[in-house]
This record gives sequence, structure tokens and C-alpha cells, in this order.
Amino acid sequence: MIQFACPACQKQYTVGDEHAGKQANCQACGQAMLIPDAVPVAPLADDGPDFGSIAQQASQEASAAQAAAAANAKATSSETLTGSTENLGYEISQRPDFSMVKVDLPPGGKILAEPSVMMSMSPNINMVAGFRGGLGRTLGKMLGGESMITNTFTAESSGGEVLFASGAAGDVMYQRLNNQTMYLQRGAYMLCTEGIELTGKWQGAKGFFSGEGLVLLKASGTGDLFFNSYGAIMEIDVQDQFIVDTGYIVAFEESLQYNISVLPGLRAGGKIKSFFFGGEGLVARFSGSGKVWVQTRQVTSFLSWVHPFRPVKDKG
Amino acid sequence: MQFELMYRPAMTVAQLTLQQHESVTCEVGAMVAMSTGFHVETTSRKKGGKGGLLKGVKRMFSGESFFLNHFTSTEPGQKLIIGPSLLGDVMHHRLTGGSLIVQGSSWMASSTDIEIDSTWQGFGKALFSGESMFWVKCSGTGDLFLNSFGAIHEIDVQSEYVVDTGHIVAFEDTLQFRIGKAGQSLIGSFLGGEGLVCKFSGQGKLYVQSHNPPSFGQALGPKLKPR
Repeated sequence: MIQFACPACQKQYTVGDEHAGKQANCQACGQAMLIPDAVPVAPLADDGPDFGSIAQQASQEASAAQAAAAANAKATSSETLTGSTENLGYEISQRPDFSMVKVDLPPGGKILAEPSVMMSMSPNINMVAGFRGGLGRTLGKMLGGESMITNTFTAESSGGEVLFASGAAGDVMYQRLNNQTMYLQRGAYMLCTEGIELTGKWQGAKGFFSGEGLVLLKASGTGDLFFNSYGAIMEIDVQDQFIVDTGYIVAFEESLQYNISVLPGLRAGGKIKSFFFGGEGLVARFSGSGKVWVQTRQVTSFLSWVHPFRPVKDKG
Repeated sequence: MQFELMYRPAMTVAQLTLQQHESVTCEVGAMVAMSTGFHVETTSRKKGGKGGLLKGVKRMFSGESFFLNHFTSTEPGQKLIIGPSLLGDVMHHRLTGGSLIVQGSSWMASSTDIEIDSTWQGFGKALFSGESMFWVKCSGTGDLFLNSFGAIHEIDVQSEYVVDTGHIVAFEDTLQFRIGKAGQSLIGSFLGGEGLVCKFSGQGKLYVQSHNPPSFGQALGPKLKPR
């Protein structure tokens, strides 16, 4: 039996397992509901660390109460994320505060990393620093807020492991690209495999107003991509539309369109007050279907908080 | 309103799910992400309340922003994700008619039914403690979301309890309190770095935070380049 509640009026329902995944309307208020799967809602903490199953569990947990909502935040726990592909095996542990990535490379396996993210590695891993791609690509990556230098870690004869962590406290996320494209905020790139191309992507006036810098980093191809941020990273599955404060965007899939606007409410009647005094600044309104990753803290907030504590320069 | 606290304790955000026509008042800048079915209004006072500009000015003095954002859900099941700006935890407190005294910078969001009064002066001379403490009094019935710097620790005061003034997040107004020195002598108290403490008595809930932002700032400041 499946037990769930209407997301709008909280009326409780119990239905048979055969109705899992079907659409229904609430008898009390008429709200459209998605009947959740029959698997009992289990606490996330005790179960296996496979990434796929985490996303599945999280979505099941969310589905009972929030099926009709526009988007579901996934992977909300501090769970270790693990998985393996043909290129490597990975384990992201100590999430979300002090996330670190362990990459297991098969013999001859390679991983490309942003400089200074390496923490430790097996002795048979060979590291080479250098430029990747031609001049244009290197410049593009630099415009995207990343270093020109790429460190390549190659496992020799036998396989080995490399551990990576970013400079600031925060989270790391993994995304597999299968001939797909996604965009990263300046500085969010951490690691990728060889099949992924990184280029700067001019965002036009949108990028200028979004405060994200004129260029986003575009990652495309087939392979494994790791990115990081200050604060935890929330994965939000956008179904229709979702609004994110521009300062909190970490990454988003190409399947999403976005435009930069102000909070809803300002438009009606042109209340300019919300914009200037509301403090939320500009927001990105994502539409379409795809994933957007959002960080829960901003470095800039911390910097502006610490600023008043700096000593004052002696002008005499 | 349903809520879920995620990524505790250092990177905590609160995800609120609002039903149609429900609304919540947030600290300016707290919004991280949200569904599209919200109407946002910025005011300098409590939504629908009176007091206007003067209350807004008082709120500014109390360490909170001058303006408040009111998010009103126009469709069912709308989500609002809010978080504080510094590392730390978020807590939920359900008010049912009583009052909670909240340290100025710890208030993050509350149901619009809750009255936020920044004119509360219960501590009076507490300003001498140098902790730049200001307080808001939240009363009414509804949900309250507070943030802290570091973790939040809840203490159920039964008779008496002593807290360093910089570590208080909030307390129920059923508690009596007086400001005093930590040690036997005033000089000893200050040399010990504890400054002034608050001595609570009575029965009620007290929330304290593990870290004190001014202490962290003063530790960092001298190591930074002059501005």
C-alpha cells in the first residue's frame, strides 16, 4: 500500500501499489497529484552510497509531500557519493562541508584537474602540468574564470588513486555528460576526464547583468565532470520554471533556458522598491526541463561581512 | 507551511513549501532560490501592520535590514529556499502565543502573522558589554526561523543558567535575566575574556550558538590587509 498526502490541502490517501507513478486529482481540493512509488520512505543516512540510488531515494522522500511542486531538490543529505565509469571510479566523501574526491584510475587512466586541487596520490601516478588544446581554447577557459594551466594525472602500469579537494570549505558534485553540454559558474570547475571540452562561453548582456561575469565556462562532450562551490550544492530538477538568485548559481544544463529578471512582484505596478531595497538583486528565471545546481552560501557575503574587521590604513 | 532543514549544521538552508495564499516574511537577501508562483513585496514594516517608517528605522538600529521581503504564494505547493549569509545552522521555533526574544542578527524569517518588534529594550545597559547587542521580540502564533553562527544548542532552563552575552541566539520571555560579570571581580571577568554574562532564571527555552561572530572577526581582522 502507498500512503501519501495531497501537496496542497494535506488530505491523506492510501492506495494500492499498482497506482504508483500515476496522476490523480485530490478529491478534496482538485489539486493534481503524482502518486509516489511504493517503496517505504527510509532515512537516507543508513543506505548504500550509490549515486543513482541516492537521487532515487531523495526523490521518493520528496515525492509524497511535494509531487505537484515544480521542482524537487535532490541529494539533500551529507551522503558519500560513489560511482564508476569506464574512465574511473570516484568517491566524494565528507560532504557537504569539507568535501573531497577520491578518484581511482585504471592502468593508463587519466584525469584533468584545475591546479592546486590535488591533495594526495599513489606513487605511481604521474602528474604533468601544461596547456590543453590550442591557444584559443586556453584563452576561452581563462575567460571562464579558470586557470590556463591544466594538470594531467596519469596512472602508470598499475592503477592508482588521487585525492582532490578545493581551496575553500564546500561541496563537490559529480555529473556525467553523454554528448551533452552544461554551463559552470566562474571558478566552479574542478576535474574532468579527457572526453570533455572546456571553453569560455560569451553570455551577452545577460551575463553582464547577472553579475556572473561575461563568460560562463561551457563543458561539453562525453565524460565525467566534477565541480565545486563554497557552501553545499543543491541539485534542483527543474520541470517547468524555477527562480535562482544569480549569486547562487553553480551550474546548469544546456537544456534549460534562462533570462535575468527581478523578483516577481516588481513587474506588477512597477514597484521599483523591491529591486533596490529588497536586496535580492537579480534573479535568473530558468525554464524548460533540466538540472540546475545551487550553492547554499556565497563567498562574497562572507567577504563583505569580514570587511569591517580589517584594520584601517593609517592615512597620516 | 511545511519546512525542511538541509545541509546542517554548517551550510544549512531551509526549504519552505507554502500553500496557496500563505506568506512568509524574510530577512533581505535570504532568498537563495524559489518556485515561480510567488509574489514578492518589499516593505519597511510588518505586512499589513502599522508603524511604517519609524518601525523600519528601529529595525535598522537593531541590526536587521531596514526592509523586509514578504513572499506570498499565488499557487499551491510553492517552494522557497532561504539561507543565512554566514556559515552556520538554521533552527525552527514554533510560537504559540508566547514571545521569543531574538538576538538582532539571528532572525531570518517568520510567518507574516508574527509581530516583530525591535523596540524591545529589556537588557537596557547591556550595551556596555561591547557586544553590540540588539534584540527583537517576536510574538504571536506561527513559525520562526533563526540562524546562528556555528551550531545551535538548545537549553531547557529549569532554575538558573549563565550564558556569555555574545552567544545568545534567542530565549523565551518566560525567563527572567540579569546581566552580570562572569567571575567574582569585574577585572577578573574581563581579563578572562568572558566580559559580561547573562544570568537566566525561571523556566523556558534558551538557544545558544557555538561561535560568536565578533570574536571570529576580531581574530581575522589584524591578519588582513588594511582597507
